Amino acid sequence: MSAPGGDGTVPSPLASRSGIAVDDQDEILKLSAIAKMFGDKAALKHVDIRVRRGEVHVICGENGAGKSTLMNILAGIHQPDGGTINLNGKDVTIADPIAASRLGIGMVHQHFALVPSMSVAENVFLGRHPRRLGLFSDRRAMVERTRELIDRYGFGLDPETPVRSLSVGQRQRVEILKALAFDAELLILDEPTAVLTPPEVDELIEVIAGLRQRGRTILFITHKLREVKAVSDRVTVIRHGESISTYPTAVVSEADIARDMVGRNVFLVGRGAQSKPRDFGAPVLGLKNVSVTDASGRLLLNDISFAVRAGEIVGIAGVDGNGQTELAEAIVGLIDIQAGSIELAGKDITTATVPMRQQAGMGFVPEDRLDRGLSVTMSIAENLAASNYQRAGLESHGLVVMSRCTAFAEEKIAEFDVRGARPAMPVGWLSGGNMQKVVIARELNRDPALLVICQPTRGLDIGAAEFIYARIMAAADRGRAVLLISSELSEIFALSDRIGVMYSGQLLDMLERSRADEVTIGALMNGARIEAA
Amino acid sequence: MRELVLDCLRAVRAPLTAILLTLALGFVLVSAIADDPVRAYRDLLFANFDSLGNFALFLNRATPLTLIALGVIFSFRAGIFNVGGEGQLYAGAIATTIVGVTFTSLPALLLFPLALIAGILAGAFLGWIPAVLKVRFAVDEVVTTLMLNIIVLLFTSYLANQVIRDPTSYGAVSRVLPEAIWLPALPGMRGATSGIVIAVVLACLTWVVLFRTEWGAQLRAAGTNLRFARSVGIPADRRIITAMLIAGGFGGLAGTLYVLGIGHRFEQNFSPDYGLVGLTCALLARIHPIGALATAIFYAMMINGSAYMQISTDVPRSLVDLLTGLLVLLMTARLARKGQRA
Repeated sequence: MSAPGGDGTVPSPLASRSGIAVDDQDEILKLSAIAKMFGDKAALKHVDIRVRRGEVHVICGENGAGKSTLMNILAGIHQPDGGTINLNGKDVTIADPIAASRLGIGMVHQHFALVPSMSVAENVFLGRHPRRLGLFSDRRAMVERTRELIDRYGFGLDPETPVRSLSVGQRQRVEILKALAFDAELLILDEPTAVLTPPEVDELIEVIAGLRQRGRTILFITHKLREVKAVSDRVTVIRHGESISTYPTAVVSEADIARDMVGRNVFLVGRGAQSKPRDFGAPVLGLKNVSVTDASGRLLLNDISFAVRAGEIVGIAGVDGNGQTELAEAIVGLIDIQAGSIELAGKDITTATVPMRQQAGMGFVPEDRLDRGLSVTMSIAENLAASNYQRAGLESHGLVVMSRCTAFAEEKIAEFDVRGARPAMPVGWLSGGNMQKVVIARELNRDPALLVICQPTRGLDIGAAEFIYARIMAAADRGRAVLLISSELSEIFALSDRIGVMYSGQLLDMLERSRADEVTIGALMNGARIEAA
Repeated sequence: MRELVLDCLRAVRAPLTAILLTLALGFVLVSAIADDPVRAYRDLLFANFDSLGNFALFLNRATPLTLIALGVIFSFRAGIFNVGGEGQLYAGAIATTIVGVTFTSLPALLLFPLALIAGILAGAFLGWIPAVLKVRFAVDEVVTTLMLNIIVLLFTSYLANQVIRDPTSYGAVSRVLPEAIWLPALPGMRGATSGIVIAVVLACLTWVVLFRTEWGAQLRAAGTNLRFARSVGIPADRRIITAMLIAGGFGGLAGTLYVLGIGHRFEQNFSPDYGLVGLTCALLARIHPIGALATAIFYAMMINGSAYMQISTDVPRSLVDLLTGLLVLLMTARLARKGQRA
């Protein structure tokens, strides 16, 4: 729903630029043979990229391919060990982030560096307020200059609003403003959509189109194929620290990019593609009139009833923040419900604790692996072992046997193809996709009768997503019930047997996969049914 | 066994490097101000071993430091910033003393465990209050533990002055405990508390519990990521409260062993900030029990050695404060570099 919508708003890149002759003078940035080592590990081996002035150039690659390292080199955070950076026809060294911004390179990081209590204008000019008499900060000039920037790029912000009250998408625009206030010619956006909701992604795509129209050059890092198509003029694919290929976006297919990213042909096969009819067993999870209110009495879940049967994958779609998180947490026992009842395999678990529910056969993959899924400072082995000590037989006489823990971790690392992992390594050293594999490996080890899995592939590259899809489907094929909660519609459609939509705490229609289509579900996600009533 | 040794070597390496560097830098300073820097340094480090008496005093210094550091480790590993070591120490000391001087008619075989348990329980109670406040009402534990320190210090001062005071001695000290329940000295070493043996055993035990039991793993999970711990079904609140009970119990035990083995009575202000120094020891050892044993021993050596140094040379004992500052600086500098790499 996001990217296709964006497609229409962006002028076709080739059409708009076909009249301009392209020669070497047109290249704002030339990276040649860039290499970077971290210890004995090569993050970048050989990267060549040519960025033309005024284009939107996407750098695409799987997690761990070296995208972020490359961007950090351009931002002056890291120094390359080899190769040259040529900016505006001159070879440059970017010693530090200040040098980068002097050279006209503006970086918008994935994680924002904003002061919530300060206004938009104060954040934009943080540390470099315009001065009056060289001493006093000139608030009015600051606000005026911010307003000017906002108007020029059509950002739709009020310079005097505190950042605290802005949405994530708006905060990102403040970050972009910060770079623009430095007169950044070349803007680097590092995975900018990772933190955004689908409508915000659409808005960002418009913002980027506007920036390009005003002559800025944009380097956009992502691993999401749809965004590549929606946003860019050209795309360079990086794999294992090497630049593999550069294409004009208009003439390349998503499948081609995916192949270059992964190094082989990738098929994201979903359940829908399997044609054999399925028989589902008895209900494993049953919710009856479940309601949850927050401390102030606001309804977070409003009278929700549904069942998930053995062997079935039920997908819950919805825009983030419509009660999906609370639904998952209520089912696994992390929050109390104020009304209704929850059954697991015929037993009432409404008041059971989290460990009791786990014992009864529940597995939980939370939406945010860093928040709830893992303890990043603890080792991979300990993260895998958590909640599995007894089942995996890791103890003897009440003491943990380290050799067994290591063996268990090595087995899981091999089984789930966790790349670059050693059992004793802190799990936080892994890339996002590999961390997610650790979470899923731990939860599936118990072979739970019910798997509650939220945003299973958020921030993951295709290779990892393909693997995780296969695991989820395999669990269902073994006769396990799966509740899949995702804001990624394609994921819901690929995996689910039935699809429900959450909107403002309510569960709207539950449709059979065969009767659902993206248009209906998309409308429901925006609360269509409610408005009609 | 081999893994224990390896793990401990790793734990000791970091503080050891910092300690050696600190001593080297400190020596440069001492050379600049002292007539006989080598003598000063010799006294600082080795006067502790000049006589059995000196060595005994050194052990007596190391015991409470180790125990408090171990308590701090339990609470910090559970994610609780417990700075109440001093209060827990005093609580343990006063409870043991009260039991010891009150029930003097009881046989030693009964009175000794009673006094011991009273001290541990008093400390544990002092750990329990902030833990429950934290878990139930999200009250910041730094504030509560700090405040409890002051409450306990003043309350014990009142008790020592008004209730159990020994009217025959000078100063605010309690009556002496019956000799029958004194902790026996280390064999062949007069005046050296055998509490040090308990401290060393408990340091090893702490390591095993924290790093080789599921319970310890759960506690550390709660300490590193509470939301993760809850999601994987760890009863995190219970772990936090238990960790604080143990932390307080260790602090209380430090006070108890001081009274039973060293002071034989409660003395107001008997602690030269053991709570704070113990906390520093734990942090310098990066909250590792075996590392903390090493740092506690080092601190005990320096605190006592500086007194000998001041007597025999012209270097003031406040050199220790300076060295402490250097040590903290070096340890944290090391940590920051590590953090950057991660």
